[in-house]
Amino acid sequence: MQRHRWLWLLAAVLVIGLVAAGCGDDDDDDEGAGGAETTEERSFESGTTMARLQEEGRIRIGVKYDVPPFGFRNPQNDQIEGFDVDLGNAVADALGVRPQFVEAISDNRIPFITDGTVDLVLSTMTINEERALEIGFTDPYFIAHGRILVPEDSDIQGIDDLAGNSVCTAIGSTYQETLREQAPDADLSLVDTYSECLELLQNGAVDAISTDDVILTGMIIQDDSLKLVGDELTVEPYGGGFKRGDEEFQNFLNEVIAEYKADGRWQNSYDEWLGQHTGEDQTPPDATLADALEGNIE
Amino acid sequence: MIDVLTDNFDRFAAGLWVTVRLVGISLIVAFVLGTLVAALRVAPSRLLRSLGGVYVEVFRNIPLLVLLFIAFAGVRRAGLDISAWTAGTLSLGVYTSAYVGEALRSGVAAVSEGQMDAGLSLGFSYRDVLRRIVLPQAFRTVIPPLGSITIAMIKNSAIVGASLLALPDLLKEARIVNSNTFQTTEAFFWAAVGYLLLTATATVIFRALEARYAIRR
Repeated sequence: MQRHRWLWLLAAVLVIGLVAAGCGDDDDDDEGAGGAETTEERSFESGTTMARLQEEGRIRIGVKYDVPPFGFRNPQNDQIEGFDVDLGNAVADALGVRPQFVEAISDNRIPFITDGTVDLVLSTMTINEERALEIGFTDPYFIAHGRILVPEDSDIQGIDDLAGNSVCTAIGSTYQETLREQAPDADLSLVDTYSECLELLQNGAVDAISTDDVILTGMIIQDDSLKLVGDELTVEPYGGGFKRGDEEFQNFLNEVIAEYKADGRWQNSYDEWLGQHTGEDQTPPDATLADALEGNIE
Repeated sequence: MIDVLTDNFDRFAAGLWVTVRLVGISLIVAFVLGTLVAALRVAPSRLLRSLGGVYVEVFRNIPLLVLLFIAFAGVRRAGLDISAWTAGTLSLGVYTSAYVGEALRSGVAAVSEGQMDAGLSLGFSYRDVLRRIVLPQAFRTVIPPLGSITIAMIKNSAIVGASLLALPDLLKEARIVNSNTFQTTEAFFWAAVGYLLLTATATVIFRALEARYAIRR
């Protein structure tokens, strides 16, 4: 009996050790790639979100973990990387704090903002009016366009061919509505993440995926037996999301983004994550939040 | 509160109907396979008994979500064109059948061996003893556990909807309503009401069965 008791104790210690190790691991993961405190620290009026974040020494940023090249886990070093992550590191640098990245999928990124799980969301999120009633948006930092992705040998040539075919997109994305309006006879498969859409397309369970061109480009980088078809369906200006009504934080973020666009960091990040794969040149968008909300972007 | 339901009634109703069909088909699969497995588990042959045992242990010890991934993504990758409906109902049914089989076996085991001996010594055949003496008593004792298993299965159907099968079940429709309206509490409250409707119906049916087959002791 005595012996058994020792065994139980050993098991308990092992379990606690494993849990502790697991937590420790997570912390390491969340450090992010960017070095903090590279720029001189700005001071902010107390009571602002910026002052609170500096006091806490970290900013929690919701990004995608499965959408290359915007936010994904690099299988080589297990770090979260991508275009959105670069911008997140820039925001953390401007505050002189440590970025802590949290996985935010399409369906939970807005609740994450409203319930305070994250301070900022940079998760390939399109600015639109309905969302602007729930959360605050920064000026657009990237302009994507809606497209359709199909296997190389598919007969689908555009949105009109989707009728009677199954098409996958993420639950909580703008494409839920877009597809219902533009392809009412398509059979919609709604899943949590775009990596699941890719799995369904690859195993033949769906005929097409529809979402932002840059996300679809990321899928082609992973699997070159897929191709983009059809015209641009929509314009999707990406904005950072934060708690609605926090104007000081909004101004701060817009300043950081404007600087990021102007001093070449945006261009470097674009070239690294997108340009070298697509071979296309692009300059930072100069549209404002108002343009995005009014649909004045090409 | 109520406007979230009335404004999106079509979605909630469609989702509930998908869940009802999913549960209905899976329940048939689970009871048919479960009965077969229970028959194996009490069979006179040792080989058949261990065959039933392996079936129960395999499907009871793999998480439902893993079964769903194997049955859909795995099977499709292997080249078999299985549909989301087939994969979903089969996975949920097979998973639940392991529990149904165990419940039925425990019912048979609960009837004391003396009854079998008494029946045989009175000149009944083995088949008649099972059919007229053992099984009616076994059935009575397994009604409550079968009720619990059915309720668990109704709730497990939400896992099918949340998986990459992308079936538009009650939970999925509630999530769509949530992402359209941002009324999180209300959307999931009505989903909970929908599941309660189904589980309460199951409870009432099994209670009635229990009362119908009760014996006064």
